[in-house]
Amino acid sequence: MSTPELVASPLLGGPLATEEDAARSHDRARVHHARSQRRHWRLLWLLVGPGILAMLGENDGPSMIAYASDGAQYGLGFFVPFIPILFAMAYVVQEMCMRVGAVTHRGYGELVLQRYGRAWGLFGAGDLTLTNLVTLIAEFVAIRVGLAYFQLGAGVAVALGMALVVFTLSGGRYWRWERIVLGLALFNLLFVAAAILVKPDVGTLASSFTFSRFPGGSFNTLLLLLASTIGATVTPWMIFFQQSASADKGMTPTDVRHGRYDTALGAALAAVCGIGALIAGAALLAHGDSGIQGFAGAGFPQALTRVAGGAAGTVFALGLIEAGAVAILTISASTAYAAGECVGATHSFNSSPRGAALFYTANIGVALLAALVILIPGAPLLSIALNANVLATVLLPVSLVLMVMLANDRGLMGRWANRRSTNVVGIAVIAFVGMCGAAYGIDSFLQAVHVVGS
Amino acid sequence: MSAIEERDLQRQERFEDDLIMHLERDQFVAETSRPVPRAPLSTRASAWLWALRVFVVLVSAMVIYTFVAGLH
Repeated sequence: MSTPELVASPLLGGPLATEEDAARSHDRARVHHARSQRRHWRLLWLLVGPGILAMLGENDGPSMIAYASDGAQYGLGFFVPFIPILFAMAYVVQEMCMRVGAVTHRGYGELVLQRYGRAWGLFGAGDLTLTNLVTLIAEFVAIRVGLAYFQLGAGVAVALGMALVVFTLSGGRYWRWERIVLGLALFNLLFVAAAILVKPDVGTLASSFTFSRFPGGSFNTLLLLLASTIGATVTPWMIFFQQSASADKGMTPTDVRHGRYDTALGAALAAVCGIGALIAGAALLAHGDSGIQGFAGAGFPQALTRVAGGAAGTVFALGLIEAGAVAILTISASTAYAAGECVGATHSFNSSPRGAALFYTANIGVALLAALVILIPGAPLLSIALNANVLATVLLPVSLVLMVMLANDRGLMGRWANRRSTNVVGIAVIAFVGMCGAAYGIDSFLQAVHVVGS
Repeated sequence: MSAIEERDLQRQERFEDDLIMHLERDQFVAETSRPVPRAPLSTRASAWLWALRVFVVLVSAMVIYTFVAGLH
């Protein structure tokens, strides 16, 4: 499909250039310069972004709460090695997204819609909109939880989240948006700081990597934690986001190697920060505090303050605010990409709000809709936050199957199509995610209708 | 041609040269706006996809029911 560094000229009868092309070309000029000068670190700096943002964006409010809940209920034993395995799975999926975006220069939504028919494209967009809306509500809840620790209310959470969305969208450049969100995303490392502040036992931490202890407790609770932990690492929005962002960034097949570095770095950082939240949560284990109670208030940070001191609670609260804020930016962006792709309208941060009205409206609109929900008195915020990742896990298999189909499509991908080994791992990931999500959904339903006991 | 028009033309040509150097042909908006051809799905692949779709919708309905039931 693509010939690396192929030229196109409006003067030679090629495609006409738009403002979006001009902005992307400007970014590509820096990449070409760095590559020609063999400035490897500069090249890496220019090409990282979508992978780190997808991975750290998924280390969002509900995810960090899920990791901390795992730690608070089961300790370190099972989940410390489980989290890196999940992020290795996420790498396999996200690498495919990056590769398809770089080779085809198109987003996931539009490719599915055009290649496999409107029904599949619209199903994917519908699933995405539902899970994104629920997850965005949970992100605002996370910000609210973090702010509640500092005695600030829901109104401040809404104002902060919306101000960030509007601020990052101003400028009409993908590069600007990406760098601002990357800067914010690095504060995910606050969870590592929280882990250090709770002073974990190094011996216990090291022994947890042996994978020896399987968590006890009820079967349904374990399934919930598995499903929500999987939902904390691979979700539909990540698939839409990384493919669309890779295309929007202007990545080409020559950048695939650096795209892999970007995705692997994001996975490693996200795993480390996730384990940080798990360790911080595990500090509550010995104190008989399940941690998730009082989520609508300041649950975890206050519990940590009681157990490990004010610094740990403060850092965890700030981490929740950051996790929620970054996820609001990336998830609303994925919704905007999907809306533009499915309608066939302009969908790029490199376009002005006037040139891509739907893209900008969807970006702000979905965030605003979620923000308004947390202002509703008595809204079941705790349940929404806990179920956001589960719903994402349940809806994920169809998106994953279509992703693997796209990555195998030699008509689109040519020599960049999946290898057999990638397919084997990809199919194993789909089977695992599908089984965990389905097992939780069916078991919970049977309990809810009193067919089986809890 | 006036000096101003000539300067505008030169600026336009520099802008186009910039694009020539740094974007692949199929990266231009004009190219990505063209839909890719439809790929034929085999009957078996379609059946698998629909089966998975129905299964996912059923499990999602169970999760949503459980969520709503849990509120009461």
